[in-house]
Amino acid sequence: MRSQLIVSDDGMITGVRVEWKMDKGYTLEALDGLQNTADGNYSAADLQALTEENLDALKDYGYFVYFRSNDEKQPIGKAFDGLQTYDPKDRRLTLLFSVSLEKPLDPRQGPVTLKIYDPEYFIDFGYVDSKPILISKPLSKDCSASLMPIPKDSQLEDTRMMLASKDKAWKPGEDEDYGGLFAQPVEVKCAP
Amino acid sequence: MRTMKWLVVLLSVIFFCAIEAAPIYAQTTTPTAQTKTFDKRRLMVQPRNADGTVTPPPFLDDPVLWVRDEQQNFYGAMSKSMRAMDSEGFSAALTLMLLSLGYGVFHAAGPGHGKAVVSGWLLATETQLRRGILVAFMSAMLQAAVAVVLVSAVLLLVSGAAAAAKDMVGWLEVASFAMIAAVGAYVLWGGIKAFPLKHKTATLDHHFEIVNPLPTSHSHDHVHGPDCGHAHAPNAKEVDGDWSWKRAATLSFAVGLRPCTGAILVLLFAYSLGIYWAGVVSTFVMGFGTFLTVSAVAALAVYSKQLAQRYTAHDSRWTAWLNFALRFGGGLVILFFAVVLMIASWQGMGDSGF
Repeated sequence: MRSQLIVSDDGMITGVRVEWKMDKGYTLEALDGLQNTADGNYSAADLQALTEENLDALKDYGYFVYFRSNDEKQPIGKAFDGLQTYDPKDRRLTLLFSVSLEKPLDPRQGPVTLKIYDPEYFIDFGYVDSKPILISKPLSKDCSASLMPIPKDSQLEDTRMMLASKDKAWKPGEDEDYGGLFAQPVEVKCAP
Repeated sequence: MRTMKWLVVLLSVIFFCAIEAAPIYAQTTTPTAQTKTFDKRRLMVQPRNADGTVTPPPFLDDPVLWVRDEQQNFYGAMSKSMRAMDSEGFSAALTLMLLSLGYGVFHAAGPGHGKAVVSGWLLATETQLRRGILVAFMSAMLQAAVAVVLVSAVLLLVSGAAAAAKDMVGWLEVASFAMIAAVGAYVLWGGIKAFPLKHKTATLDHHFEIVNPLPTSHSHDHVHGPDCGHAHAPNAKEVDGDWSWKRAATLSFAVGLRPCTGAILVLLFAYSLGIYWAGVVSTFVMGFGTFLTVSAVAALAVYSKQLAQRYTAHDSRWTAWLNFALRFGGGLVILFFAVVLMIASWQGMGDSGF
């Protein structure tokens, strides 16, 4: 997957546009029985219907998009500009859509993080190697957006040991779930 | 001809039960039906109700998706009632047990849980269905017991239980698959011995009839004839039924040694909530649920084989070959899967991630 932060003219973060490239197995199931066009692709109408239905279902899962500012969870709105493309060579579907934050976040007021993950780990989300993070407009000059590296095995082991040492009353940080502890975050930070 | 048709239908049902979920219904839906109602299997995730549950499609529309959704709902409801039990006490504990039963039934419909092993064994060795059901029951209960013993031991011995339990499961898994491989090799060996050209008389007379439920007398009492050359080889009567308590116990042990991950999670979760006893009871109830499903699959396998027998009852040469093929093939299949699973779980232990 790839995430493009949507930045306003005054350097505020207003949302994100995501690009999720599906695996071949899901693609096969999603397109099974649909009519091919002459060039081995699928009709825009079919793909659009699939997109709408998928976004409608994803809504119940908060689109798996988690924004935080100063460690506080930030509400998001409904998805828009949904689009799905199919690559006949690769035989994979790609889903694109955008979600807006209910109120724009200012990274100068404290770090903004974005995590995309499935708390139930039914879907495995992973960033692509080349240009995983994009920005729609330049951020203000002291600020930068970067993808935190994937935790090393030893770090995951540390997290696990840390969890194992806690007693039953312990809970992850405010509104955080256990899946989030293992997800790869995008961080927007500004020099003070 | 009618019998033949039914045979094909039944065999294909078993095929789809034993080998995992395949999109059976995909081809049969008509284009008009698709435009009316959107095929939910196309979705990345299923739409969720406000309380977090998923509404499954009608069973006949899409049985595979139905099982998947129901299992997800049972799982969600189970962890919810676990949390509730902390405050609500006994009634919530009862709910957890009922849910565990349902979870067991649906969970066992997926791969694993010895369905293929028990069915293959029944088909290959001419054992009565009720013995297969007994083995299924024994292995389900053993599986629950292993989970309880394992988790209890770990909880007693180790702090940081969550990290340690995972490694132990890995070792038990390898050991369990190795034992299944041994059972497969044994059945295969029996098949080779039943090769029709060599042992004509023995196979023609004794196979493809349902033998009496238990050995008529203690097998130790058998009289050695004058030509009893190899005293320790099983005699014809014993081999005929391929049944002994020892063998049944070995098989149950092999299938049941690997504890179900679902059971371990329930136990650890119950422990962390301080209601370990409810976790223990639920584990056994869950075992009973998987037993129900495994028995049903085994019954399907046996009844379709009986149909096949009736069809070919008059041609004894044919049955001899079929017997050989079933034993040989069944043994080979069990051995193959066990080795593959063993290698996979061995390698899986090396990875540190989930």
